[in-house]
Amino acid sequence: MRKVVAPDYTVFEHVKRHAEAVKTAIREAIIPESVTCSYPKERRKMPASFRGYLIFDPDRCISCFGCAFICPANAIRMKEAEDGRYYPTIDYGKCIFCHFCLDSCPEGALKPTKIHDVAYRDLDRMLTLTEEMIEPPEIIREDKRYVEYVIDGRDLHLRRVDGEDELLVDLPPPSKVERIVSCIDPESCTGCRICEEVCEHGVIRSSVEEDGVRMVIDSERCTGCGLCVKECSMRVLRLVRR
Amino acid sequence: MTGTVEALINLMMADQVAIPLLDPILNILYGIPLLGHLLALILWKPLFAALICPGFATLGGLLMLLPWIERKLVARIQWRIGPHEILPRMGGVIQLLADSLRFLFQEVIVHRDAKQPYFLQFPVLSFIPALLPLLFIPAGTIIAIESPYGAQIVLAMVTLFPLFILGLGWASNSRFAYIGTVREAFVYFGYEIALIVSAFAMIVLYGTSDPLAISGMQQVPGIILNPVAALAFFIASAMATSRLPFEIPEADQELAGGPHVEYSGILFGLIYVISYEKVYILSGLMTLLFLGGGSGPEIRVLGDLSGLIWFILKTLLVMIALIALRAIYPRYRLDQALRIGWNPVFTLSTIAVGVSLMEVLLL
Repeated sequence: MRKVVAPDYTVFEHVKRHAEAVKTAIREAIIPESVTCSYPKERRKMPASFRGYLIFDPDRCISCFGCAFICPANAIRMKEAEDGRYYPTIDYGKCIFCHFCLDSCPEGALKPTKIHDVAYRDLDRMLTLTEEMIEPPEIIREDKRYVEYVIDGRDLHLRRVDGEDELLVDLPPPSKVERIVSCIDPESCTGCRICEEVCEHGVIRSSVEEDGVRMVIDSERCTGCGLCVKECSMRVLRLVRR
Repeated sequence: MTGTVEALINLMMADQVAIPLLDPILNILYGIPLLGHLLALILWKPLFAALICPGFATLGGLLMLLPWIERKLVARIQWRIGPHEILPRMGGVIQLLADSLRFLFQEVIVHRDAKQPYFLQFPVLSFIPALLPLLFIPAGTIIAIESPYGAQIVLAMVTLFPLFILGLGWASNSRFAYIGTVREAFVYFGYEIALIVSAFAMIVLYGTSDPLAISGMQQVPGIILNPVAALAFFIASAMATSRLPFEIPEADQELAGGPHVEYSGILFGLIYVISYEKVYILSGLMTLLFLGGGSGPEIRVLGDLSGLIWFILKTLLVMIALIALRAIYPRYRLDQALRIGWNPVFTLSTIAVGVSLMEVLLL
């Protein structure tokens, strides 16, 4: 077994080390470094990948429920809007800011921001409805400069830069994966024609044949919105890569 | 009756604090009946020393300022900001005023097991060893009581402090306070002898212990004459003030304040300043013994105040050095502190006596 013992310094080494400590203290007392960011008056510059408040673009949302399924904290609920589609609502009381929802969103409808200081009046209001997520929350900016932490050599330094740090992140839209609907198990189709009814683009058509109803998918015109996939009662429709 | 008053006033006028700069104004003010007498009383050297400087007013001002200086300086060294929010433009300088107001209005809780009368008396009584030594420390030529044994009396008073801290811990009747008290007693044994012996070395060197004579004798400051004694005295004072790195009796981390743990409100405020009072007195003594007291380039227009200003400046310097130790060293364990007290510091102070004796015999 190895024993941990204090190093055995000579008197000269002791004096040298004490002198070093005192020298450092005097140097810092005269020209102090600082790593404190006086927050409302200056903000820390966050990287573009900062996981903050989410904003939402309903035009891009395809109601795929991916965000709600992947949310580990069950913070996202899908809510039916007036146009019959489902959009996410986020309960920030539960949200753990993992941004799995953002990563899982195929269309880039959820967008990250660097906002991390939203205040709510009470717990109920932390449930952010879809309409409130479209615009970023109102922020009173007191900061005239932002702060960057720079590591040079072994030390952490703080650099103050005049100007406001832009809190909204302008991410390029994700490289879109073209998807179309396809029936994976035509044998199980009951011919209920719900998919035909929900399709906004008239992609799915039905015709009555001798042996029952035959469904046809016009894959050229399919936008891959996924509404039929969600409504299919037999769960035989899937979105596949074009 | 009037004869006695006249005699008293003549006595006071004979020993006034001389300030040539203010002489025209003072001469007018002396002419006004009651105010003139009051002014003559305050500017009478012994009373001025006791009340203004180095006595009560300076002590009070420093107690208001010193914790702020400490927190700000240590924060600078440790890359923090320190007190800021109260009066941000001045860097939070009235922080302790705000704190003391809070202490003043906080309820003083005397818990059931405390030995009540002593619990309430000791914080107040602890001002005795804080204020009495100030009567014997000269600020320049201003001193309250001239005594040929001034240095010894100051040392004796300083070594009275632990008695009051032991009293606090005993009256608190709580286990944290007991542990802190026992540690205080241990540390006391650690530093006391080294402190006294190193001061003794300087008294041997000067051949007198009259504070005025000591500060008058130092054309070359004592720290150059006997640096070993200065080092030993400095370390012993750092231990005596029971502040970091020797904050063993209080030990916030494991004893939650040691002897102070049961106190709240203004009583805590009184205890909180004990260590700062100690810092002031020991720094004053160090200035007197090693830095030449109030000697320095004389500013003629200020008269007696010139020595006073030099004394305050030097004392502040020593106090800041004592305080800055907090930022440099971590806290020592009790056994390490005792070893430091008994082994290197005691050895240093003994060597210092030898150095003094040699200098006395050779020069």
